[in-house]
Amino acid sequence: MELTVDHFLGLSAALFIIGLMGVLMRRNVLIIFLCVELMVAAVAITFAAFARETNTLDGQTFALFAIAVAAAEAAVGLALILALSRRVRSVDVDEYRTLRD
Amino acid sequence: MNDQPLWLTFIFAFLIMNVLLIGMAYMTYFERKMLGAMQDRMGPTRTGPKGLLQPIADGIKLLGKEDLIPRAADKWVFFFAPLIVFVTAIVGAAVIPFGGTINAFGRDLNLYITDLNVGALFVLAFSSIGVYGIILGAWASSNRYSLLGGLRAAAQVVSYEIILGLSLVGVFMLAGSLSLRDIMLEQQTNLELGPLTVKNWFILSQPLAFILFMIAAVAETNRAPFDLPEAESELVSGFHTEYSAFRFSFYFLGEYISMIVVSLFAATLFLGGPSGPGSSDHWYLGILYILIKAIVFLFFYIWLRATLPRFRYDQLMGLAWKVLLPLVILNIVVTAAIRLASDGLLF
Amino acid sequence: MPWEVIIFYLIAGVAILSAGGVVAARNPVHSAVLLMVCFIQIAAVFVMLGAEFLAVIQIIVYTGAILVLLLFVLMLVDPEDLPEFHTGRPVQRAIGALLGLILLLEVAAAVVTRTITGRQGSATLENIEAVGGNTEALGRQIYTEHLLAFEIVSMVLTIGILGAIVLAMPERLGVSGYRRRDTISLGHPRGTDLALPATAGAPIRATAGSKPEPAGIGRTLVMAGDPDEQPVVGGGRR
Repeated sequence: MELTVDHFLGLSAALFIIGLMGVLMRRNVLIIFLCVELMVAAVAITFAAFARETNTLDGQTFALFAIAVAAAEAAVGLALILALSRRVRSVDVDEYRTLRD
Repeated sequence: MNDQPLWLTFIFAFLIMNVLLIGMAYMTYFERKMLGAMQDRMGPTRTGPKGLLQPIADGIKLLGKEDLIPRAADKWVFFFAPLIVFVTAIVGAAVIPFGGTINAFGRDLNLYITDLNVGALFVLAFSSIGVYGIILGAWASSNRYSLLGGLRAAAQVVSYEIILGLSLVGVFMLAGSLSLRDIMLEQQTNLELGPLTVKNWFILSQPLAFILFMIAAVAETNRAPFDLPEAESELVSGFHTEYSAFRFSFYFLGEYISMIVVSLFAATLFLGGPSGPGSSDHWYLGILYILIKAIVFLFFYIWLRATLPRFRYDQLMGLAWKVLLPLVILNIVVTAAIRLASDGLLF
Repeated sequence: MPWEVIIFYLIAGVAILSAGGVVAARNPVHSAVLLMVCFIQIAAVFVMLGAEFLAVIQIIVYTGAILVLLLFVLMLVDPEDLPEFHTGRPVQRAIGALLGLILLLEVAAAVVTRTITGRQGSATLENIEAVGGNTEALGRQIYTEHLLAFEIVSMVLTIGILGAIVLAMPERLGVSGYRRRDTISLGHPRGTDLALPATAGAPIRATAGSKPEPAGIGRTLVMAGDPDEQPVVGGGRR
């Protein structure tokens, strides 16, 4: 049995879907945030795997940019959570419904 | 670089690990003797000749103590946190080169465990994982003083890691590589400085980066005057208040081993690593030189501890973000401009 | 089986188990620790794919910076305030699981039936070794072919930092002394360092419904913005 790119793609898909299920199932906004980070990292594996399959470095470059954008996203996301919890005093996403009521 | 069999690398790694552990034990002895001398007292004298067996006695005492776990503690996290500090401290030594490839005992031997393409960043990466041991241990203790110490540690290490990483960018630009072995080899070339010829140690071309690196390294290892996470007088030892016996000793080991690894790292990056008179002919002289350079840095750590009072917390963060960060970026810009100008690419 | 495959399955197994733990753990700090484990496994996967630089950046940026910041926030949240995962919302969880399964099947079908289109590049392992390794090759790629994207990413990061500062800033800086009053409510169930009114005997427990109103009288803990200034003690408002 040989280690092929399909192995890495499978791992990436599994991690992505676990992250997605976390986003759909949990109510704590911080856990949802963690799961989004997990999804971004899972996609980065796919980029690196395809980079190896096609013998190019574009995939790795793209994964690097994805990590950089995830860092910016984390900064803004945490600031948003901070502002939200200051206003609503909760980390439960179901409590954030000012726009609906 | 040659590909040696795996078992040889294992033996070398085992040796390095043991040297680090024994070095750590005698680092505490060295520190206590030095502090004693600076404060006009004797230091340890009772155990063995001149107190030389004191570290061993301390170790046995720590192992024999009762292992207390607070009832409110989070058991698993409490258990694993000290191990994180210890393991990440020791892993950093894997990329430090103690010399090139030598011919001894009838075969070619590498005097480094591994030569990673990203060696310098590897050390930084593991030191950034090490902070988890501190904040998780602090949180799991379920003690407010510990948690405050852990929060301080997190903020401090994250801030100073930026300085630590950016201060190395100048070195990377001059060496053209992130591999510590390439950086070491680059520093063995000669540099013409007017009439005299010196080795191209990066402390000569990057003095500002060296100073910034040392400040950040002291903060990164949580040592005085940046030892706010464990400020005895205000936080009752901070994050390890609730730790006792061998769990405490893992924190202790981790702190001292990371000091030794950072000293070896600084010696490799800025002081030419094993380079020195006669080191190109005799490999054991190279190992001796890098150890002497590391000991100089360790003495500097102790000297700082004996001399300077502790920073206030806002001064610490202000220093990192308002003073050191602009300086380190200035250093990068100036180094890049000089590098381009020397290649004739500027103007 | 060759060693490479065994090591891959070990890494993948730990990664998937810890990712599952992130979703299932009751305590958010445990989730964050498990995510750290998962990210280190992902870094190991990058090393197996020959992307050493990516692996180290993954550890430094994700594990060393983002997750530490998150832990920082997590430790300050009172565990009694956390929404309970294991009670309630069965519909939401069932739909989540169903959608996940469907997506997994779709992706599996796509992976099995895919074919490579496009041409092979020249960045084989030998060629990368010739320019000095993965880091050098990646550096050349970024600073030549992808220079514009690189500049745009740096702009995104700058804007992200500015946005974070604007969002996290208190609305009016003048009231920071009052606003920061509860920043040291530590994440322990024993109670918080909220203001203790002199009249009330029992310490106030910070449960979701019983946040104490700012006390107008009595002893109030005030955190000053600048440690050198003297906060007004007694009234608590400035």
